[in-house]
Amino acid sequence: MKDQIDAIQTEALARIGAVADARSLEEARVAILGKQGSLPQLSAGMREVPKEQKAEVGQLLNGARQAITAALEEKKDALQAAADARALEGIDPTLPARALHHGSLHPLTLIRHQAISILRRMGFALAEGPEIETEFHCFDALNTPADHPARNEKDTFYFDSGKLLRTHTSTVQIRTMETGKPPVRIIAPGSAYRRDEIDATHLSVFNQLEGLYVDADVSLGDLKGTLEYFLHELFGADTEVRFRPHFFPFTEPSFEIDVKLHAKGQQPKWIEVAGCGMVDPAVFEAVNDSRGDLAYDPARVTGFAFGMGLDRLAMIRWGIKDIRLLIENDTRFLRQFA
Amino acid sequence: MNVSLNWLATHVDLEGRSPDELDQLLTFAGVEVEGIEVKGVPSDKIVVAQIKEAVPHPNADKLKVTQVDAGEGALRQIVCGAKNYQVGDKVPCCLPGTDLGGFVIGETKMRGVESKGMLAAASEIGLTDAEDGLMILPADAEVGRPLRGMFDTDVLLEVEVTPNRPDLLSHYGMAREMATLLEQPLAQLDIPERSESVSTGVRIEAADACPYYTAVRIRDVEVKDSPAWLRQRLEAIGLRPINNIVDITNFVLHELGQPLHAFDAAKVSGGIVVREAGEGEVFAALDEESYPLEPGDCVISDESGAALALGGVMGGIDSGVTAETREVLLESAYFTPSRIRRTSRRTALMSDSSYRFERGVDPAGVDRASALAVKLILELAGGTAEAATMVAGAAPVVTGEVELDLARLDQLSGGCVAHDEAAALLERLGLESTGGGKWRVPSFRADLQRHIDLVEEIIRVKGLDAVESRLRGTFVPSSEVDHRYDADLRLRERLAGLGFHECQTIKLIADGELADALPLKPLRDGDAIRVSLPLSEDHAVMRPSMSPGLVASAARNLRQGATALRLFEMGRVFRNAGGGKARDLEGETLGILLGGEIQPAGWDRAARAADLHDLKAVVAALVPTCRLQFSPRERDGFALGCDVLAEGQNIGVFAMLSPARARALDATTPLFLVELDLAKLRKLAAVSRDIAELPQFPGSSRDAAMEAPAELANAAIEKVLAKLNEPLLVGYECFDVFRDPSGDKLAADRKSVAYRMHYRAADRTLKSKQVDAAHQGVLDKLSADLGVSFR
Repeated sequence: MKDQIDAIQTEALARIGAVADARSLEEARVAILGKQGSLPQLSAGMREVPKEQKAEVGQLLNGARQAITAALEEKKDALQAAADARALEGIDPTLPARALHHGSLHPLTLIRHQAISILRRMGFALAEGPEIETEFHCFDALNTPADHPARNEKDTFYFDSGKLLRTHTSTVQIRTMETGKPPVRIIAPGSAYRRDEIDATHLSVFNQLEGLYVDADVSLGDLKGTLEYFLHELFGADTEVRFRPHFFPFTEPSFEIDVKLHAKGQQPKWIEVAGCGMVDPAVFEAVNDSRGDLAYDPARVTGFAFGMGLDRLAMIRWGIKDIRLLIENDTRFLRQFA
Repeated sequence: MNVSLNWLATHVDLEGRSPDELDQLLTFAGVEVEGIEVKGVPSDKIVVAQIKEAVPHPNADKLKVTQVDAGEGALRQIVCGAKNYQVGDKVPCCLPGTDLGGFVIGETKMRGVESKGMLAAASEIGLTDAEDGLMILPADAEVGRPLRGMFDTDVLLEVEVTPNRPDLLSHYGMAREMATLLEQPLAQLDIPERSESVSTGVRIEAADACPYYTAVRIRDVEVKDSPAWLRQRLEAIGLRPINNIVDITNFVLHELGQPLHAFDAAKVSGGIVVREAGEGEVFAALDEESYPLEPGDCVISDESGAALALGGVMGGIDSGVTAETREVLLESAYFTPSRIRRTSRRTALMSDSSYRFERGVDPAGVDRASALAVKLILELAGGTAEAATMVAGAAPVVTGEVELDLARLDQLSGGCVAHDEAAALLERLGLESTGGGKWRVPSFRADLQRHIDLVEEIIRVKGLDAVESRLRGTFVPSSEVDHRYDADLRLRERLAGLGFHECQTIKLIADGELADALPLKPLRDGDAIRVSLPLSEDHAVMRPSMSPGLVASAARNLRQGATALRLFEMGRVFRNAGGGKARDLEGETLGILLGGEIQPAGWDRAARAADLHDLKAVVAALVPTCRLQFSPRERDGFALGCDVLAEGQNIGVFAMLSPARARALDATTPLFLVELDLAKLRKLAAVSRDIAELPQFPGSSRDAAMEAPAELANAAIEKVLAKLNEPLLVGYECFDVFRDPSGDKLAADRKSVAYRMHYRAADRTLKSKQVDAAHQGVLDKLSADLGVSFR
């Protein structure tokens, strides 16, 4: 009996040792430890073992079972480890990534959002108005006389209805004041139209951001502080900003704002980025006439307004040399903003 | 406008002021300096040299090898291509190192022969060419002397004057402004006062357009070339000298800002009549073009009625001064700005005169300019002037008294300007205090009419630097537009995350592009909104939908070899509500275009072209919590047109570009479009509904494989399922559609559609029998409503 146990154990361990795959290992387990396996079969012979030897043989049998079970476990782990290793064999992590489509927001959206975010932190709310406008909202109410150079079919798109495509987002100033009372603190991003041939620096449809703040005691200091802060946030805290006196019909005094641009490999230069000024009393008067009240009495409220070209800001920000890149939607260009 | 610094210096002392300093000065006074050009010899390294020898170049027929004496002791060898000189002539020599505006002269070899410098033509060194070839200097020029000291230099400022400041449109006006800003004295003008006037000889019939007209008759003039000083003045600002009379009128215009016109008196029959143009009148201008006139245009004519000039805009072709002219009628007048602007714009005729009249000239300058011109004509062309100036009308009063409200000045400026300083500033600007806070405005500043205009002047001259920045603001609540903007940005970001590129296209499209439009509702005739006078037919119609721009963008990318087209644009679309007779509507939509490879080819897999289900998936990703349906509805010019419904609500339109149109764009894969109503999308995309509790009990699923006619739309199945009143059915999905065109496994006109149905009760674990019973009910309903059988 002892010899048989020894023999079975030896044979079993040899068989397990020789096994090369999980299936053979399972077959071996069944052949050795299964119901009809060699070890249980031998165990059946315990009945015939003399009583005084039972304990010893039993121990031997247990020992053999333990040894075989351990060998099976060990082999199973070894096979699993080998399989795991095989599964990773030949994987080349340096192969190119699988392609996913990367989308992008348009540079104009990016710059507009940045500008809006800064101004919203300063408490400006968004406003809007129609793009197909009346002469009143585009010109008359903005103190632009009937014979002003901009008011003709050569510079402005008109419709047979007599309406026109707004030439600036300043129309939203009027729209907002017509429907709401002071204080007004709004920004209005939107399209504007001018009858310009499209070339490297002009679009007939372009994008502006308008701003208006009207309240009691709005001063030039507010205008200056607000726009300095805005431009420092947009272009960097140490960006130089200058206000040049200028003329717009709907603000007085009026200024154009330049920032000093430091482009790589170029002399720093002043670049115009915005127009601004204190709301002309004539604009308030036109709004009052339209409202039929004195909500915007020039003796009691003052305000400042500003406007900037977003396409231009995008060009400055990213060094875009041809404005047409902003409307051609070449994905080789757009992809760079992903 | 071009401004010559030498010319300015005749009125105000600019000694020691650098061009940059003046640029700065003008810029901060509101005059934009667009360019600064230094005229004259640009470098001290350009010296007088004498040509000592010139021999043919051994390797070039057109070149000579010269030896020149540039005063250096030894001769200098320079290769030169000019022909107009002789040995012994003195010419300008640019020594090595001379910088000619970025082009630096060096020592070099020309065709194998050493050349140490350059002999120059006048135009190469900032002077005016008198002949072709080298500039020949006077024989007594001192060899080696820099040319810079021998010729005048000037600085030309190219300035942009804002429309409110016509008083700056002359050298005297500009000098007056600079004198104010620099606190320097302004030189007195040396112009005689007009002595006499008569009211005969000129007559105004159009007082509205021309309230004041004067003319002086000068006899026995000699028309000839102007003297050098006058020619130089005009040439300095880019004008071509013509003859002494015309040059004088041009000079006075640029000196004082008052346009003048000189008529050949022999061409004027009788007196001058200022009248409105007649109906159908045609004017032959001196630019040799004919212009049809309209009543409202102001014509200068004679007693015969013949038009001599289009008043304030341009002279006639026949009435001007020529070499034969012996007697001159010199016009100086005031024309009403709005009338000149209207005529100039309508006829598209622009002149230095109309430019000034339409902005408004100084009414007080009319007589002064006339007097200066007469004085100059007598000096330069001889002759005698009639003692009395012929005058009609009177110079209009365009300025008055304006009150400066100091309290409002303080409010606006933050108190940065002391009141006495403000007063001093106004005085420097030529205003006169008349007491009680009132100021009399000089006649040349018609832009100063109101309190705010005076404030503007004070701040302009004082400078915004003096104003202290203030950071504060009243709280205002966010608006509807804010909420829409935020919702749109979330959609944009989601689409970018889904691999789409945001586009921006021009909102004006071509008529032909309307065929690519996929508006929410089909267009009827007249719905497209057209601008009256498009810049080109490519940009004539307001876009009624995003798709034309997206299709054009796709076409451009296809031409550039793009293999995946994933584009979107968000924004306004335009249409008339009723065939051009109703209101113009501005809506907002989101357009998406998908085509090309949905799955790019990689090292382990082939590419797959996008199909319509891919775009459906994108739409689903925008409204992930909504039940989405595509309901077929034909669209002209497109294939597979569908209404897009979310939660049963129509939110947009889907279609495939017709195969023919896709071929025309050289697309090798189908292009799919969807246009969604942004107003509806924003609401559906918002996570605002009640959040469902998570199920507490497990559910089970059962599959249903239906055999149905091939043409049965999936929507029909979904419709039945959606209407089922089976509370245990909590979800379903189609997981297989099988067809066999060969008919072997399934008749060719049949299909097999497999659905998985999910059953669950909220309050208990369902028993298998209960699920089976519910499922059988579902199958029975499908079978009853659709006639499908189950396999």
